[in-house]
Amino acid sequence: VISRRDLLRVSALAGGGLLVGFRLGADESSGPAAPFQPNAWLRFEPDGRVVFRVAESEMGQGVRTSLSMMAAEELELPLDRLEIEQGRPGDGVEGLGTGGSSSMASNWDRVRIAAASAREMLIAAAAARWGVAPAACRAEAGRVVERAGGRSLAYAELLAYAARQPVPEIAALRPKPRAEHRVVGTSPARSDGPAIVTGGARYGLDVRLPGMRFAVVARPPVLGGSLASFDAAAALAVPGVEACFAISRGVAMVARSTWAALRGRDALRVTWNDGPHAAFASDAHRERLAAATERPAIVTRRDGEGHDALAACATRHEALYLYPFAAHAAIEPVNATAWVRDGRCEMWTPTQTPLGVQRRVAEALGLPPEAVSVETTLLGGGFGRRLGWDMEVEAAEIAAKLPHPVQLFWSREDDLLHGYFQAASADRLLAGFDADDRLVAWEHRKASTPHNARSRPTAQELADPAYLAGSSWGVTDTPYAVPHLQTSYAVVDAPVPIGPWRAVFSPPAVFAREAFVDELAQRTGRDPLAWRLELLGANDAAIPRHAEPGGRRLDRVRLRRVLELAAEKAGWSHPPATGRALGIACNVFHTETYIAYVAEVSLRPRPIAGRLPFVVHRVVCALDCGLVIHPDGARQQVESGVVWSLSNMKSAMTFAEGGAREGNFDGFEILTLDETPAIETHLVVSDDERPHGLGEPTVCPLAPAVINALSRLAGKRIRKLPVTAADLA
Amino acid sequence: MSRFDLWVNGERRTVEADGAMPLLWVLRDELGLTGTKYGCGEGLCGACTVLEGDAAVRACQVPLVAAAGKRYTTIEGLSPDGTNRCQRAWLDEQVAQCGYCQAGMILTVEALLRRDPRPTGEALDAALSEHLCRCGSYPRLKRAARRAAGLEVTP
Repeated sequence: VISRRDLLRVSALAGGGLLVGFRLGADESSGPAAPFQPNAWLRFEPDGRVVFRVAESEMGQGVRTSLSMMAAEELELPLDRLEIEQGRPGDGVEGLGTGGSSSMASNWDRVRIAAASAREMLIAAAAARWGVAPAACRAEAGRVVERAGGRSLAYAELLAYAARQPVPEIAALRPKPRAEHRVVGTSPARSDGPAIVTGGARYGLDVRLPGMRFAVVARPPVLGGSLASFDAAAALAVPGVEACFAISRGVAMVARSTWAALRGRDALRVTWNDGPHAAFASDAHRERLAAATERPAIVTRRDGEGHDALAACATRHEALYLYPFAAHAAIEPVNATAWVRDGRCEMWTPTQTPLGVQRRVAEALGLPPEAVSVETTLLGGGFGRRLGWDMEVEAAEIAAKLPHPVQLFWSREDDLLHGYFQAASADRLLAGFDADDRLVAWEHRKASTPHNARSRPTAQELADPAYLAGSSWGVTDTPYAVPHLQTSYAVVDAPVPIGPWRAVFSPPAVFAREAFVDELAQRTGRDPLAWRLELLGANDAAIPRHAEPGGRRLDRVRLRRVLELAAEKAGWSHPPATGRALGIACNVFHTETYIAYVAEVSLRPRPIAGRLPFVVHRVVCALDCGLVIHPDGARQQVESGVVWSLSNMKSAMTFAEGGAREGNFDGFEILTLDETPAIETHLVVSDDERPHGLGEPTVCPLAPAVINALSRLAGKRIRKLPVTAADLA
Repeated sequence: MSRFDLWVNGERRTVEADGAMPLLWVLRDELGLTGTKYGCGEGLCGACTVLEGDAAVRACQVPLVAAAGKRYTTIEGLSPDGTNRCQRAWLDEQVAQCGYCQAGMILTVEALLRRDPRPTGEALDAALSEHLCRCGSYPRLKRAARRAAGLEVTP
């Protein structure tokens, strides 16, 4: 119970321009049995438990653990004393929603301020009880200790007093410097581990409510198709099927079990209107993408004379890279559970965007947002797919017609065929050399289908160079110094739903750019590492303001350092074993995370069905992501990025006759354990004392590192993903 | 709809359902044992792996009629306190990322160890290569399986 509420808006600590809203409450009237809730993030219970609310969704990145570490560090509390509670819309915790590899950076100030503020109030409470100055006390292991005296009190003994203390001025709070960290920088076990290995971890599909029914939806097989008519008689005859009705996206089948709902859908007689996209095919789309790069389109960056400088060059080199559609394919398919009653909707869902879900479900049901509650469960993988809200809106539409709660199930086929996708892209690169064989001109033309998170950009946005530059990660922010440089974006429309996918716009661009840099090294007989270092020789990469918020600059020295470290640890200067080759690539993600990979690769002597046509024996990663909160978690994200990227080299989503073709894991083949290389990660102790992201940055430069090795082994450049045996023959 | 008896985690359970309903949905929707996960419904990903006796089977491929009378162990019943050799090894190696697919992999390794207490690393790798993980837990999975088998664990 909060009897006094203040909303304190502060400009947070140095380095952020971040606004932190604290809803500060203290209960002055209640007795010692009341909890102390200094702000929306923390609640101290009289029984000694300290409840910490996390704003972020746990989808395997370990965010519950790493955010708890930030809180424990400032609270001076053993990590295992924190009990994690998932943040919900309306509970005051800021930053709900998880994406963009931003959890560490965006919570670093908020969580530390919330925790330090609570700690200071507890110290002030003890000081008041003892009649000493707060400065004479310190916090240690969940207690306030008198520095000179020997008296101490547990936090749980101080709650009523703490609630009466003034809330500290944010500016007066001094989060610990790096040298004093005792929790941050260690690698405690993940908090969800024991629940995961005993079957107790609750994902979206594990929600069970009294009287809950199960539903599936039949959706049109052709992109943009719609329902013509349906006959539910045979479906309703399936034992366990209870209801069948149209919703905005198709026909809902409601049953007593998931199996009965699936059987009912199989029995449904339905006809669809195909609409205008029944002839769409990804092969033809790829040709359109390639054709769109034949000349510069909307210019997103221009340095020096840009494209015009190419004409005067002594020699030129040009290459076209092709990148496919891809699916997220989290092993837990998308799903949502909803209960609509009494003018309210309760939603349980493995979402990355509880606020987006709340807003869109409210719109769909004609309810005010506060009438929609959203409980975020654990996520069985996210990867950007759960930044959408299509599944929650479907579940709400179905639940609105039922007296009971209902769990909407998407089968694997539903998940692969009816999601949104990583956009296919074509990237054409052109380089010009002067008479002394110096690289003087660089052009990168990207053709793809931009998206604005889950919605289509407006026509105005699609014609706006600044908007398109914002969709050109890895293109406009190339780290390489070339005096005449031009980048451009050709928008190619597709009826395929496009949405955020791990690393979003970067993977195609970084794949093309890093492979092309290697081509240039090969062409001029230079070592690919030495060539990159040469191109990074200066520290003057001025990134256009529209490309990076705040006009941040990337630091070429930091990129050189990770390149050199990865190369050294991988034995770059020694020739690899016979039949093997090394490849290298690097990237800077949003000026914040610097990463280099070296991959050691050989060709598979004979193809094996369902396996990559090559073997990656070893991957060495060096990275600088600023302050590392949880080093083992950082290594885990590298392993994750490597496996993800190799899957991206293995298979793709294709479309024919207006529909997606790969409906299960026998079509969209992800990497297996026996294809996984040994992965070695080296973390640079960074000059940057703030933490940055890893979930996406670890994906980008792995594929080109492998491609660069493969191109040497195959004796020809490989310029497309996925890589097939035929590409290497 | 018919009645079927089966043994799950040491208890006799009676289920009234369509005999074609896969064991996966019997466990999850009829018996409330949600530790067994759906991933593909086609026996491709291994997320729904449970023990039938001492053998690993994919619960999405076993119809209830074939499960009747048999004994199953799900992740919830693997040990009373989470201290089975695989569960311990998984925590020691900090395998899980999202964790969704892990129960199936744990039960596959447990089944392999019950059949062959001293397997080779290659046999463990081969068994786990029939499972899919989208987060990329494979390097740690490899180590955890070796640790559970008492083999040397190389970083």
